[in-house]
Amino acid sequence: MTDRRRINGPPSGTRPAVFASSLKSASGDATERPRRHRQPNELRKIFLKTGLIPSASGSAYLEYEPSASLAAARSSPQSLIPPSSALKLACTVHGPKPLPRSATFSPNLVLTTHVKYAPFAARQRKGHIRDASERDLGVHLETALRGVIVAERWPKSGLEITITILEAEDDRWWGDAPDSHDAPWGMMNVLAGCITAASAAIADARIDCLDLVAGGVAAIVSDDAVAEEGSSSTPKLMLDTDPAEHKSILSACVVAYMPARDEITEIWLKGDHSKASLGVDDSSLGHEALIDGAINAARGAHTVLVEAVLESAERYAGLSSSDS
Amino acid sequence: MVAPSATLSVLNRADGSASYQCPSTGSNILGSVNAPVELPGRRDALKPEDATIEVFVKPGTAPAGVGERYVEGILKTLLGRVILGREKGYPRRGVVITLAIIGGESVGRGDPYLILLPALLHTALLALLSASVPLSMTFSATVLAVDESGQILREPSAEDAATAQSVHVLAFSSKGHLLLNESQGSFDFDTWDKVRQRASAICHGTQLVSADGDVAMAEDVDGRPLEGTLRETVEDQVYRDYNWKINAA
Amino acid sequence: MASSAPPPALTLPPSQFARLQPHAYLLAHLSPPASSNQPSLRANGRQPAQFRPTSANTGSLTHTNGSAVVRVGDTTAVCGVRAELLPTSDIASWSVSHASSGAHKRATTTKNDADADADESHIQDLNLLVPNLSLSTGCAPGFVPGAPPSALAQSLSHQILGLLHSTRLVRAEDLRVWYQVPSFGGDGDMDVDAEEDEGRKKKNDGKEIKAFWVLYIDIMIISLAGNAFDAAWAAVLAALRDTRLPRAWWDADNEMVVCSEAVAEATRLSLRGLPIASSFCVFEADAAAGWRAVIVPDAEEEKKIEEDQRRGMQRRWILADPDGYEEGLSQERVCLVVDREMGKTVIVKMEKNGGWAVDGRELKQLVDTAAERWESLKLILEQC
Repeated sequence: MTDRRRINGPPSGTRPAVFASSLKSASGDATERPRRHRQPNELRKIFLKTGLIPSASGSAYLEYEPSASLAAARSSPQSLIPPSSALKLACTVHGPKPLPRSATFSPNLVLTTHVKYAPFAARQRKGHIRDASERDLGVHLETALRGVIVAERWPKSGLEITITILEAEDDRWWGDAPDSHDAPWGMMNVLAGCITAASAAIADARIDCLDLVAGGVAAIVSDDAVAEEGSSSTPKLMLDTDPAEHKSILSACVVAYMPARDEITEIWLKGDHSKASLGVDDSSLGHEALIDGAINAARGAHTVLVEAVLESAERYAGLSSSDS
Repeated sequence: MVAPSATLSVLNRADGSASYQCPSTGSNILGSVNAPVELPGRRDALKPEDATIEVFVKPGTAPAGVGERYVEGILKTLLGRVILGREKGYPRRGVVITLAIIGGESVGRGDPYLILLPALLHTALLALLSASVPLSMTFSATVLAVDESGQILREPSAEDAATAQSVHVLAFSSKGHLLLNESQGSFDFDTWDKVRQRASAICHGTQLVSADGDVAMAEDVDGRPLEGTLRETVEDQVYRDYNWKINAA
Repeated sequence: MASSAPPPALTLPPSQFARLQPHAYLLAHLSPPASSNQPSLRANGRQPAQFRPTSANTGSLTHTNGSAVVRVGDTTAVCGVRAELLPTSDIASWSVSHASSGAHKRATTTKNDADADADESHIQDLNLLVPNLSLSTGCAPGFVPGAPPSALAQSLSHQILGLLHSTRLVRAEDLRVWYQVPSFGGDGDMDVDAEEDEGRKKKNDGKEIKAFWVLYIDIMIISLAGNAFDAAWAAVLAALRDTRLPRAWWDADNEMVVCSEAVAEATRLSLRGLPIASSFCVFEADAAAGWRAVIVPDAEEEKKIEEDQRRGMQRRWILADPDGYEEGLSQERVCLVVDREMGKTVIVKMEKNGGWAVDGRELKQLVDTAAERWESLKLILEQC
């Protein structure tokens, strides 16, 4: 179906490039899976900056530090296939503004969230129209933020939060076949990034919030070396996992967490680790541990968030003093 | 050079309409104007002291696409400056112009509408006149191609335009201003200057202003100036419409 | 700034004055009272012919063949180029059109640039370049995210495609994947096409095109503060300069095109020239003066405006690289795309619309300004 509002490519469609190395992968891996060089509880560095988009009421740009393998691939490029990727996203907040005439009365601030991948954000080219996963992310983000904003302060108003993902996280290592344990793990990292960035942008737009909400991810992964032997794996809890670095992620959890109130506004847990936790001492790797891990990751993101918001406040204070 | 031919008020239900036969491309353009009309559901978008102008271009065979949006934008900006949208009855209302391209070769993907642009502009102008929309001025437009040897070609066909070094569309107001210029291809400024002179001659003729300010429209190699052709079309229609009155007098 | 203040009884901070009386605000900046001895500057502090600071950065996006981020003032455009393959077997009319283009080639072998002609037709006929610009990124209020592309986004996409075609920036040869047909000798049992096939093979030394690269050029305007076209085009240009296509060949065993992942084997696109866009808008002093009346200057009026100008009373300003505020206050736009070859300025595209202030003389000056802009942007693009 051709889209009349966009410029279309060849009518027969096109195929992504097939690399020779991936064809003969059965004979043996030429390239190795990127390894995690961080400690299990060590987070990737987050670059977060507010106010880069002046036409919006509030804005934030978030970028994860490239993993060691990606950084190496960048500095001395060997292969055209990137080993992993690092999240990059821009978030804008427009509002509070009056609701359109057609909208029904609302005593509270009406929050709309919109998450869209750029066509070049992922390994597979994304379409121009939002797909199910993008809508899903939007809904998750909305739940995460709704509990934070003091919505009664703006009756009959709307707040629009738009996130453009310029580069997403991988769901798995590119060399792995999409098979068992497969789930869109990358989406969870993206959601955590969205929450942190949106929180900064909302603060930058000077919308009253209960607390600065931050997103964090933790996952239970089974060590690949052991898993290949076929014996009982020793699953480990890792914070801020890069899915490309792990052979199998058993379960993962993302939370939106407000540290000052010790509250969770959004929790998303996926996967099954019941079998994995049998091997070790009982509940040491249960849901609780997973959630605690995600909270710890969120605490880490929160420190970055505080700095970014502080910078935004300083800029605002500077502006208003020069104005008057 | 075959002069274009046009008829006014061909549609009964529109406020104003015009049909324009473009000899170089062989396409016929049917334009209709409805003005002033209420534009419901867009109260927030309307300008409080000016008319809102909407232009729709419908290609003959294919459904309208991205290229049509672009040419609509060009027409809208130009007509927005010509239509007196602040006259009584126009602010907060709409002027809706629809141009349908009938026949001729369809415009390909990514191709500019340059060779059809003058015809579209003329049709829009005649339809606006037919709808009695107040205008600050009239205009006339032409398209010229420059080939590799530097020859200027008037109203090129699609193939000529494809092989030409550069293609230029120019529109001049009835007062001699350059209203619109769309040039594409590679050229230098001196070439453009020559093109501009030639286009001005085509639109207005080589002007001979006599002492009393009358502008005599001389005929030269380019035949009758375009502006005269357009003016005559309107005059003919006025004669036809007021035939009863003229005959009675 | 304070010189443009409203009557003392009601004092407003400049930012509010700018919002309430935008036209008067900009006019006051551009024509300060002679007594104040202030230079005529725009509200954003720039000279009329001054462009905003521009920066470019390429290759930062992982999943692209080429990418660029260009910031022009507060307008930010991100462009990513993704290459995918179009096998000729997927093109419905390939066997027919290719044969005919071969015939065409033979007919025009006397002409030296016949190859160039065929180049362009492949890119255009097979839709090998697919630029799309998106404004629904929350870049400015008024663009609803998730809605289909606005008329502005559509016409910007079209302009970029038109410019890619008319400048012939990308060479079709770079996009072709050739295959050397091994000669088996026994071609005799081929049927009707044989003769034509033979002719083509002789011409191309037994080479045939197996696939084309299709470049998806997606531009996301992340932040919009006026003049989206210049920023978007600069981003496209920078991203295409950064684009690397993997070495691709026809694998006869698998009957598909496969690529080499080695960076060393990948090739960059060889672009034709470096066309750079500069946009301008015209701000008119009298546009809002008459509330209803629209004064169209005729020849005499024009003379008066010119005289005023000579006496230092300017009534029109041509502003380079307008920001969003200035764009909202002016109707007339000029867009120039120029390239320079051996010290000579070549105009690739020249558009003006929406007014009558700019004519030959003004355009000549603007071409010079655009040529200066070309020099400065060239340095920026070469450094990134």
